[in-house]
Amino acid sequence: MCFTHSFWALTVQGLSDGFLYALIALGYTLVYGVLQLINFAHSEVFMSGGFAGYFVLRTLIGSSSPHGASSVGLVVVGIAAGAAAGGVVAFLLERVAYRPLRRHNAPRLAFLISAIGASFFLYNLAGKEFGRDSVSIPAPFNLSGTVFTVFGAPVQTYEIVIAVSAVIMLVLLDRLVAVTRLGRGIRAVAQDADTAALMGVDIDRTISQTFVIGGLLGGAAGFLFGLSSGVVYTMGFTPGLKAFTAAVLGGIGNVRGAVLGGLLLGVTENLGVACVQSSWRDVIAFGILVLVLLVRPTGLLGERLGRSA
Amino acid sequence: MSISAGTVGAPIRSGLAWVRSDSGRRLGGWILGALILALMTGPSGNDSAPTAGFTGSLLQPRVLVFLGLAVALWVLTNIRRRYGERIRAASDHVTGTPSRLLRTRRARYGLYVAVLAVAIAYPPTLSGFWQEVLVDQIGVFVLLAVGLNVVVGYAGLLDLGYIAFFAIGAYSGAYWTGALPVHPPFHVNPFWAIPLAVLAAMLAGVVLGAPTLRLRGDYLAIVTLGFGEIIQIVATNLQGVTGGAEGVSGIPHFSVHLAGVKYQWGLSNLPYYYLLLGFVVVVLVAFRALENSRVGRAFTAIREDEVAAEAVGINILKYKVMAFSIGASTSGFAGLLEASKISFVSSQDFTVQMSILVLVLVIFGGMGSLPGAVAGAAFLQWVPQILRQHPLFGYQPQDLYIYLGALLVVMMIFRPEGMIPSRRRRREIVLAETGVGTADAISGSSDPAVRP
Amino acid sequence: MTGTIPGRARAVVRLGAIVATAALALAACSSSPSTPRASSAKTYTIAYEGPLSGGNSQLGLFQKFAVQLAINQANAGTTFGHLPFKLAFLPEDDQGSPTQAPTAAQAVLGQSATMAVIGPAFSGASKAADPLYNQAGLAMVTPSATDPTLQTNGWKNFFRVVADDDSQGPADAQYIVKKLADKTIYAIDDASAYAQGLVGAFDTEATSIGAKITHETAPGTTQCQAGTGNVQQYGALATKVKSSGDSAVFYAGYYCDFALLAKALRGAGFTGQMVSDDGSESDTLITQAGATVAAGALASCACQDITQNSAATSFNSGFKKLAGFAPGIYSGEAYDATNAVISVMKKLGSNVTRAKVVSGLHSVSYKGLTKTVAFQSDGNISGNTVYIYKVEGAHFVQLGSVAQLVGS
Repeated sequence: MCFTHSFWALTVQGLSDGFLYALIALGYTLVYGVLQLINFAHSEVFMSGGFAGYFVLRTLIGSSSPHGASSVGLVVVGIAAGAAAGGVVAFLLERVAYRPLRRHNAPRLAFLISAIGASFFLYNLAGKEFGRDSVSIPAPFNLSGTVFTVFGAPVQTYEIVIAVSAVIMLVLLDRLVAVTRLGRGIRAVAQDADTAALMGVDIDRTISQTFVIGGLLGGAAGFLFGLSSGVVYTMGFTPGLKAFTAAVLGGIGNVRGAVLGGLLLGVTENLGVACVQSSWRDVIAFGILVLVLLVRPTGLLGERLGRSA
Repeated sequence: MSISAGTVGAPIRSGLAWVRSDSGRRLGGWILGALILALMTGPSGNDSAPTAGFTGSLLQPRVLVFLGLAVALWVLTNIRRRYGERIRAASDHVTGTPSRLLRTRRARYGLYVAVLAVAIAYPPTLSGFWQEVLVDQIGVFVLLAVGLNVVVGYAGLLDLGYIAFFAIGAYSGAYWTGALPVHPPFHVNPFWAIPLAVLAAMLAGVVLGAPTLRLRGDYLAIVTLGFGEIIQIVATNLQGVTGGAEGVSGIPHFSVHLAGVKYQWGLSNLPYYYLLLGFVVVVLVAFRALENSRVGRAFTAIREDEVAAEAVGINILKYKVMAFSIGASTSGFAGLLEASKISFVSSQDFTVQMSILVLVLVIFGGMGSLPGAVAGAAFLQWVPQILRQHPLFGYQPQDLYIYLGALLVVMMIFRPEGMIPSRRRRREIVLAETGVGTADAISGSSDPAVRP
Repeated sequence: MTGTIPGRARAVVRLGAIVATAALALAACSSSPSTPRASSAKTYTIAYEGPLSGGNSQLGLFQKFAVQLAINQANAGTTFGHLPFKLAFLPEDDQGSPTQAPTAAQAVLGQSATMAVIGPAFSGASKAADPLYNQAGLAMVTPSATDPTLQTNGWKNFFRVVADDDSQGPADAQYIVKKLADKTIYAIDDASAYAQGLVGAFDTEATSIGAKITHETAPGTTQCQAGTGNVQQYGALATKVKSSGDSAVFYAGYYCDFALLAKALRGAGFTGQMVSDDGSESDTLITQAGATVAAGALASCACQDITQNSAATSFNSGFKKLAGFAPGIYSGEAYDATNAVISVMKKLGSNVTRAKVVSGLHSVSYKGLTKTVAFQSDGNISGNTVYIYKVEGAHFVQLGSVAQLVGS
């Protein structure tokens, strides 16, 4: 087959891409679970994380080349900065663009249009305030150094960092949704908002917190993404669409589905590019989206947030 | 102890209570809006000075103007709320006049004839620049908005990849006139390529619509967005067929040569304008008839309650595809017109941003409303051009999409039916707000993707 | 609870807005475009057309400020001494788009005092706007539209101050195949009009001198500003390049995408030669890719290294003062184009007309920052030397012209 020659190299890259997709997809899936709404502006939450990480790391690193323990510290700081920015933007988004519509009992179309408007507003504003040129985050460690090889495929430091950070965040989220009171609240609202309200769950607060959690993950993903690919005000569009595809692939509303979908999409994309030109990469992803929606719309893990985490 | 705490605490508590009250919240809303507007119209930053834009907009005296405006508007709306009834009664007479005058059919037709007369007589008096704007910016986009209005407004389907049909119209024109690297079986005059381009766009509507229109609203939006992207990617990648990003030139201008009538379009704008005007009038008449026809009523039924419509025996998929296809037709013609006028077509032109721009035009004007789509598109396309000639207070052309994005959010919160809404649509939304029924086909059912 | 603002009040606002709009419209449409203030000296306008907003705006801004600087300096008497007229500047935004270009062109033509237009910056916009300029007989001098079909339309008033795609591609091929002796080349374009043309010309020439080319399209981020180029694609692309065994990579695109590609290539273990074009010939490339990754990379450009030109220092500082940022790609060319036009106008004295500017440009020979500006009969620049630059340390260093290097 066309990809067997570099199968392992492509799979490693695919998993790395996939973890990023998974982190972003969780934002879509969580919000969809509680509101049945595609948060179109989540891509801008992702972008804001990238910028936050960039500014923080640029202040801390400048032009030095850190290594060792300070590298780890810087990565953690970067992730924290990205997550914080993402959380804040997601919170504001919910308050300004969605809550008024919920009050007015607006039709579903209005939510989607408001989301699109918010997305446009946010990324163009970022372009105005932070400049439209692409910038690169000062490296907290040597990104391209190969740590080890898997069947001849190099695994770079960067890919390990993504995998480790992503796994930690995903495990934390999984536990949060399954065990904590907040998680129970989210699942309750996702399953049946009215009954949850009767049970004493504060719907508004739960929805807000859901947005924030999604925002934390998306913002962190923005920083990790920016580390290797640079930060620019339009960076959210394509990863956002891909992450949404991943969420649908895994089963929208399903946390573990989002992770599975992300990894699968990442690997498939990369393997696919070995067979066709790189310029068809996005077509592969959208093709998967259409296929899933037509053939198995509930996704691979098909169950909703309400029924199982 | 407790007494002094009480005397200090009471005003603070009542202050906090006021902030949380409706009135206080509204003031907060106005202030937030004012600050955002100050930021939008303020100076820009760049990556080496990221706070320059913020400090330049918010920490300067100019922000006081905005805050003052916010407080003033808050006071005004408060007054209106309190004396609402009296003011309404007084203003009724004035504001009711246009709708009262236009109630009779004769009056409305009179207005349309007047508008048409102005549309025919005024443009030749304009400067070259404004004539160009009238065709390229306003005319083409009015056509696009009217077409998208059928999809989004009549049938309630959110199409985010609408520009794909524009592209197909343009490429069809290029193909049938022999400008593409692949040659057609026979060459046609670009004027006769018009029906071919329209047909190609409608066919594309059917092809793109049939598999995807089963999906419910949110998913349909994303899938159409994806399709819009895919069309652009395909056009860029298949260089041998479409000319790719470099594009193809040499598409001939329109020319008519039949039965003694001979006319050649050239670089001048007025002939294109009149052709566009003719087409727009035809389309408006046709779509108005469509609205009131059986097909139009089916659209309305689908939009208001899909399940009930199906129960009454309407074939949902067929009508949705029809809406898609009809909407695509105007886009196809617009694409061909533009390609023929500038004699050039390239894949780089057909961006997702353009699709969303057309959506903004329709929503601003009024979803489902023909006069709304026309007026909204014309107005929103005219404003950036006038600001180009007479720059206003902080507006920079590269910030246009910030304003459009904010406009969308504000419209959805305060006036989702648009500026010149169709009466039916307005009624749907008002009813939805009071909890009676849902305003569109995308109801709150919790099942994903597909309709059962 | 908050509800919608009652319809009637809205109607008042709407009515007011409509009336105000109508008033503004009538005022705007009937007013003639602003004419330069009358002064004792005649005032002529030089226009610039390019992307000043939208995703490509940075490129446009690099050129716009250069044109503006040239005009300011000419008015102050620095460049040409005393001039018998004053110059005004008219920038027009076409967003780099062929659909917006005719409108911008009309805005330029609407002013009768306009004697020349620098631009359009983009080839697509040029194709759409140039017929209008041609009809009006206005000289159009583009600093960056490199599509080789532009000079074949028989437009007498078309001029270009850079080498077109048909010169750069073959020169690059000659250099890589003959001088570097790399016979297997992976050629990648960023799916832009410029890059597709460049790689097309490169492919044809390289194949004809015995190289094996693998061509791939990898959509880039449109001058590092926007576009939906996929920044994640370079990992898989690098893997493909490595497994192809090709000895050199030729990338037609811009510095931010080339930086990502270079990092991915080195990360995948590719040790061959990396070559790009003038879009990558920028120190930002080295910052973004990192000095280790970028070391030894080459870039070609049909432009001289202006930092070796002492006159460039004052240009650089003047530009920075005016624009607030350092000059970038094609700034020098735009500056030279404007000055060439002004030199023609100076020779004509105080009786400048559009037609005379056009004929004057056909015989001009102006020594500018980047090159001596002189035109062939079809408007193409005379002399299309392509230079090769190499990354050494934190900067690009000029190695020499392709003709020199290959011949030696």
